[in-house]
Amino acid sequence: MNIGLEAVTKNDKKAFYLSGEIDMHSSPVLRKELMKLVDRKITPLIVDFGGVSYIDSSGIATFVEVLKSMMEYGGALRLTGIPDSVMEIFRFARLDSVFDIYESVDNAVAC
Amino acid sequence: MEKAIEVKGLVTHYGTREILKNVTFSIPRGMTTVILGGSGSGKSTLLRHIIGLLKPTKGNIFINERDITSLSEIEMIDVRKKMGVLFQGAALLNSLTVSDNVALPVTEHTKLQGSTIDIMVRMKLDLVGLSGSGGLYPSQLSGGMKKRAGIARAMALDPDLLFLDEPSAGLDPVTAAGLDELIVRLKKVFKITIVVVTHELPSIHIIADYAVMLNRGEIVFTGTMDELKMSDDPQIVSFLARRPPDDSLAPGDYLKTITGNS
Repeated sequence: MNIGLEAVTKNDKKAFYLSGEIDMHSSPVLRKELMKLVDRKITPLIVDFGGVSYIDSSGIATFVEVLKSMMEYGGALRLTGIPDSVMEIFRFARLDSVFDIYESVDNAVAC
Repeated sequence: MEKAIEVKGLVTHYGTREILKNVTFSIPRGMTTVILGGSGSGKSTLLRHIIGLLKPTKGNIFINERDITSLSEIEMIDVRKKMGVLFQGAALLNSLTVSDNVALPVTEHTKLQGSTIDIMVRMKLDLVGLSGSGGLYPSQLSGGMKKRAGIARAMALDPDLLFLDEPSAGLDPVTAAGLDELIVRLKKVFKITIVVVTHELPSIHIIADYAVMLNRGEIVFTGTMDELKMSDDPQIVSFLARRPPDDSLAPGDYLKTITGNS
């Protein structure tokens, strides 16, 4: 699968730089990786979309699922660097009010 | 203008009757194209060829530059995964709930977890304005809701191409207008190519960027909506004015018709 999830620690907080195409083939792989982090109850979980060239509804559903799982232990999911095309879909699906969205990883870390 | 679909020299027959006569045109990517024409003009037949349900007598159909007329049924599966189709009667499976109808293509063609699919289905139903209706069966839906459910299912695999066969047929004007609004929003947000077979003039003016017009199996127009409206072709003028074509015969020809002398 041509996706990447590179971990970086900033101010003792974990940020994950997501890259590649998130489609119906790669979403199960992404879900597995994110759920491992959820199992470790990492919070906040910061995911940067700067390297994402495409995300479909299965990718968006995966993040909704992750958020739902994190809410069970009071975890915070913060999304950053979301491309305009993806933001438009988030707005259309009213997901911009569901996710905590930040302009950059630095902003998400600072909160 | 980037082409999403290109049809070249398409000829098709039902028995010995020629239905499409050397049809050539292209459909631009990222726009909504309407295929227009009166009843019996061949537009639904043309749609069935474009989605690969019928094989032509002659000619080629390129979808994303791939000639689908030479593909086997198995090879067509991959092409169809990127196509969503709303059939005239919505074609929902009556024994399944609305949610299960929408989930069906996803469970058939992907290895996604059931929990992910559940969220995708809710998102698609919300997209078409059917939040909370997932547990209903098709027989419990109104005509407009069936069409919306059909669109949600057509959108299930995030297609590049969405085909809608007479989406407004049988709907009251207000419900039809709501569906037009949905089609406009889908194109704007998802940047997909939409092809609508219709003869509903109010819809055409709202949803269409580009038009292809058929008459008796032949292409009589391809171009933008502005070009369509400015056309002085009598067939197009009659169609847009909802005026039946002048089929009256000269007295001599009429006599031949009723006496059977050709």
